Amino acid sequence: MMYEHFDNTVKGIKDKLSQDPSGINARKKYVLELSRLGRKLYTKNETIAWCGVTAPFDLLSSMGVTSCFVEFVGAMLASTQTAGFFFEDAEDAGFATDSCAYHRAVMGAVLKNAMPEPDFIIGTSSPCTAGLAVMENFANQYKKDFFILNVPQNYSKDAIRFLSNQIEELTHFVSAHTKEPLSKEKLGMALENFNQSSKLLRDIYDLAKTKPSPVDNRLLRDFGVVMTLLMGTREGIDICQAFKDELNQRIKTSRHHASKEKTRLMWIQNRIQYPFPMDKMLDDLGAKIVIDELNTVTWEPMDPDNPFESIAKRMISIPFSMDTSKRIKNMQTLALDYQIDGAINPCHWGCRQGTGARGLVSKGMRDIDIPVLNLEIDCVDSRNLARGQIETRVEAFMEMLS
Amino acid sequence: MNKKIGFTCAYTPVPLIEAAGFFPYRILPETKAPDQAGHLLHDNLCPHVKKVLDRALENDLPDLEGMVFINSCDTMRRLADAWQVARPDDKIILIDLPSGMNRLSLDFLSKEYERLSRTLFKWNDQTLEPEIISEKIKEKIFQWNLLADSIKKIEEKMTNDFFPGYASGLQQIINTAATESIDQALAMAKSKIEPENPCKSLTAPVFVFGNLLFDPKVYDLFEEWNVQVVGTDFCTSSRFVTRIQTGPDDNIFRSLAHSYLKQTPCARTMDTTIPGSIAQRIVERAKKSNAKGVIGFTLKFCDPYLARIPMIRQALQKESIPFLMLEGDCTEGSMGQQQTRIEAFTEMLEV
Repeated sequence: MMYEHFDNTVKGIKDKLSQDPSGINARKKYVLELSRLGRKLYTKNETIAWCGVTAPFDLLSSMGVTSCFVEFVGAMLASTQTAGFFFEDAEDAGFATDSCAYHRAVMGAVLKNAMPEPDFIIGTSSPCTAGLAVMENFANQYKKDFFILNVPQNYSKDAIRFLSNQIEELTHFVSAHTKEPLSKEKLGMALENFNQSSKLLRDIYDLAKTKPSPVDNRLLRDFGVVMTLLMGTREGIDICQAFKDELNQRIKTSRHHASKEKTRLMWIQNRIQYPFPMDKMLDDLGAKIVIDELNTVTWEPMDPDNPFESIAKRMISIPFSMDTSKRIKNMQTLALDYQIDGAINPCHWGCRQGTGARGLVSKGMRDIDIPVLNLEIDCVDSRNLARGQIETRVEAFMEMLS
Repeated sequence: MNKKIGFTCAYTPVPLIEAAGFFPYRILPETKAPDQAGHLLHDNLCPHVKKVLDRALENDLPDLEGMVFINSCDTMRRLADAWQVARPDDKIILIDLPSGMNRLSLDFLSKEYERLSRTLFKWNDQTLEPEIISEKIKEKIFQWNLLADSIKKIEEKMTNDFFPGYASGLQQIINTAATESIDQALAMAKSKIEPENPCKSLTAPVFVFGNLLFDPKVYDLFEEWNVQVVGTDFCTSSRFVTRIQTGPDDNIFRSLAHSYLKQTPCARTMDTTIPGSIAQRIVERAKKSNAKGVIGFTLKFCDPYLARIPMIRQALQKESIPFLMLEGDCTEGSMGQQQTRIEAFTEMLEV
């Protein structure tokens, strides 16, 4: 079922792109590559690893491993409105309804045998405890080897060395499964690709800061988190280049999508994954999300001569790996750089990591005079969605900002 | 005056606190302070952390010289974050706790415990030679291990026979070690090691596990409901008093790291070579304690435990061991609400 879904998406997008060969179509190219990844995950004879969100996907792809974080699948099930089917299985098996629905959806899919069986599992302690717990459940369910990357919550020399040594050990773990040693040349190329993509990402985010911003409410949704799946590859560079070209063209042609920009907004953490007309609602209210919290480059360029330490520093630098005060500082910097008027925090039900800091985030933004709208919502499970209430609160917030 | 160091997690080595000249004070989630923590964090967090934060916000705490936090789960991390806002003048330290138990994790945790020790001595304005510090820690570990041994003996007695009031007495000893001192707890253990009440017979021997069950009165309630607790696995029960294995030439911090990581783990700590080993461990402990059934008691919104309940349930089912799963907050009242379910469960065990 899932293979067909991805395969049809790949064919459909390729058709559309062939009808407009000179167009930039950044978003379509991005979805095309993600669908290709999805298709690979459901293809036999691939070496598959299910991972935590902050796993080093560039390193894994250089070792011939098709890898993905499981929350990506949870989001995809929600966006295709099939998640409900899987929630019930997970809940019947005893997974609490208070838990994160990204994880409940994929656990349901595992129990329903709708997930590709991995060759091994790589858990990461960042961003969340629940994510690591679901990885252990995967390993237990599939009876597959399990590796954990512990991401310390500080940037000390000991912490970096600890993570760097674990990453090196991970390469031995992977080699033991693929029967292929790590190729320094291939890893060097992956890191070079990663660096080129990172440079382009910085350009993209700089362009998004322009006033009025060339982005619209959809263009860069969840971009920073998901792009990490592709950043060690040539395709990742092409996609980043396409987004940069698209934003430049929009600026050049003054085609500022959803050009009403009465209000500039920041979206905190992840977007709502199931069909919900938030983007349109904001368009109608003249509000534009110019920055998603996770669309940011917090790392230095990777050093191919010192790959494990570089990757370790990158993993620790991600705001979700740090304490909340550093996350807030990052958000404050973004708020000032993007000249936002307000922020929306969808407090994803069941998320202790991100939503757990709701009050602290509000306070941190208030300290720089940025109001925050806290929406109590489940971003993946739409069964208890109070749509009218959400709409009213968004409207009232926009009214207040204007 | 007793200078106290606050802490909240069972992975905090109490001997390090006492060696630095402080008294331990585990902040238990027991308070009449109003619910305010949700404003600073979120309401969907475990009641343990929220109530501890409520105590901090309401100043329902003794004077503390500093706070030790352990990065054991998301909610504990958020508590450390919120503490800095709630009590900005407090000295705090956050210790990173690996989730796995391999060699690298042990090396790292031993360095983290060393950092903790250095910080505690600094907080107490003590600059001592490393050998003297090491000796002080060893002395405290010696006392701690005596306590751990006494507690083990009490537990063994509990497993074999039912003595009314014995389980709650054990919890009082453990709470004393957490909130007063090792010496006081040890004295208490010596006086309570022989049961005060004669042995009786109950028909529902049960193994109880979960995250937090610290109120001695709850164990008395269990007895009223005909539950004989023959074994426990909580971070507030004997798991907290981990015996520290150390030899004369061992690096003391490595011994601590080894003992704490390899102890009966909290659900958040995993043995990657046996994914889901918590389920097998619960089954084995239930069998070893001759329990007829198992009661799981976890706090609402506790991801590490709630995510493992399905595999625990499955493992118990496979062994035909009846299982009752309860969720609640940290109060005696929340356990009281479960009376009917617990009584029904014990009746079923007696059939």
